[in-house]
Amino acid sequence: MASLLDQQRAFAAALRDRDGMSTAAGVAPVVNLDVYRHNSDWQFRNALGLSFPVVRRRVGDDYFRELATEYRRRFPSRSGDLHWVGRDFAGFLAAHLEGSDYAWLADLATLEWARELASVAETRSAIGAEALAGFAPEDLEQLVFTFQPSLQLGASVFPVVSVWLANQVENAPPVSQSVGPEAYMVHVRHDSVETTMLEPPLHAYLSALKAGARLAEAMSTADLDEAALLAALQFMFSRGMVCAIYSENR
Amino acid sequence: MQRPAVAWIEAHTENYFHDGGAAVRALELARANYPLSLHGVGLGLGSAEGLDRDHLARIKRAIDRFEPALVSEHACWGRAGGEFFNDLLPLPYTDEAVKLLATQVSQAQDFLGRRLLIENVSAYVAFANSQLDEWDFLAAVARESGCGLLLDVNNVFVSSRNLGLDARAFIAGLPRESVGEIHLAGHARSASGVLIDDHGSAVCEEVWELYRLALARFGALPTLIEWDTAIPELSRLVEESHRADAILQERHGIAA
Repeated sequence: MASLLDQQRAFAAALRDRDGMSTAAGVAPVVNLDVYRHNSDWQFRNALGLSFPVVRRRVGDDYFRELATEYRRRFPSRSGDLHWVGRDFAGFLAAHLEGSDYAWLADLATLEWARELASVAETRSAIGAEALAGFAPEDLEQLVFTFQPSLQLGASVFPVVSVWLANQVENAPPVSQSVGPEAYMVHVRHDSVETTMLEPPLHAYLSALKAGARLAEAMSTADLDEAALLAALQFMFSRGMVCAIYSENR
Repeated sequence: MQRPAVAWIEAHTENYFHDGGAAVRALELARANYPLSLHGVGLGLGSAEGLDRDHLARIKRAIDRFEPALVSEHACWGRAGGEFFNDLLPLPYTDEAVKLLATQVSQAQDFLGRRLLIENVSAYVAFANSQLDEWDFLAAVARESGCGLLLDVNNVFVSSRNLGLDARAFIAGLPRESVGEIHLAGHARSASGVLIDDHGSAVCEEVWELYRLALARFGALPTLIEWDTAIPELSRLVEESHRADAILQERHGIAA
């Protein structure tokens, strides 16, 4: 007689493969294994759709179902917590749609996954611009910033932010790809996840700071002048993005 | 803010594993106003590949954070070969499965530092090698692990209709002292006539009747209406909860 382990593996094999629906699982009625197949498929697809609502809206339910089925085959759930099933979806789409007219969907999925990560991140106490007054002027260039855990930054050669914003309603008209590259940030503000389009210098500056660069390094990387730096600092502090500042002399 | 007139609330544990976010904040607010039960759907304590220690640690973190009055899981498994099916898959009712489930329930209880309630799941297939009736299986797991049982009356009804079993015998067969909570829910019927435990409609009359039978056997127990797909207006859900309250009061003079 098969062990429980063997029996569960046979049951799992039957769920994965309709043609492999064998009596090895030792169940009856065998046809009712379809209920489990359907439940498992639906749970996975539904969780994926909740993480990628705009991708789903753009491709339609039927194609989304096809994508989800193929994605699940290659990237099955690895956790009892369904929240994370979408973690490889953008990469899957990039490979699956490479060279097609729909390659931009991968970058749209990256944006939506950034929103998903932001939506479950801890919210810490934010500090205001007055915190800068606690540092000596000669230390300002050495300052390092700690951001809210929800902060996510991204960029695409496609206008993914415009697509995402336009598709907050059903049946939105297509966004022309001629709009061009876009950069963005996602973070939680006033208890809701915000998606904000960024000019390339501000995106470069924030990305450098988030990666741990000192203020002067980030300013140089983004090629910001003093006026642009002041505007960037105001942008960060007014949105509650900064949790801590410290001076790092290297 | 209006507080719905319900005695307590139950939440799926896995939805509150995160560091922050709107769902966590909402549950914190609810917990400040109501007793809470955390009901897990992803641990799969009957998995023959062993206890999922990472998942268990996340459950402990949620318990520490929300301090629920009750914590429950299912008599099921959910993973094989590293793949999670994210479903409540059925166990054969064998001595081997009793031993494995009881051992892993015991390990989980030791780690969490508290007693679990283990729920009977809806079944769509039966195993040819089952040696026990489901109620004897659950009773043995409770006896060997010291866990309590969560009696899902709708699941009893669904399984009994799908597999030709006796729902009344199920309720009569469970150990009186082990049942600590009751679930009620609606179900759907597939095109081929299989009853599906979808939690998407009102509790049917047959399940209400079985609920009365369960109260007569097990006494007054906290009772939850599970309605988490095709979710109606809150007032409709509360109305269903009040129907359970009324039956409890009729039998025991207290609210669910």
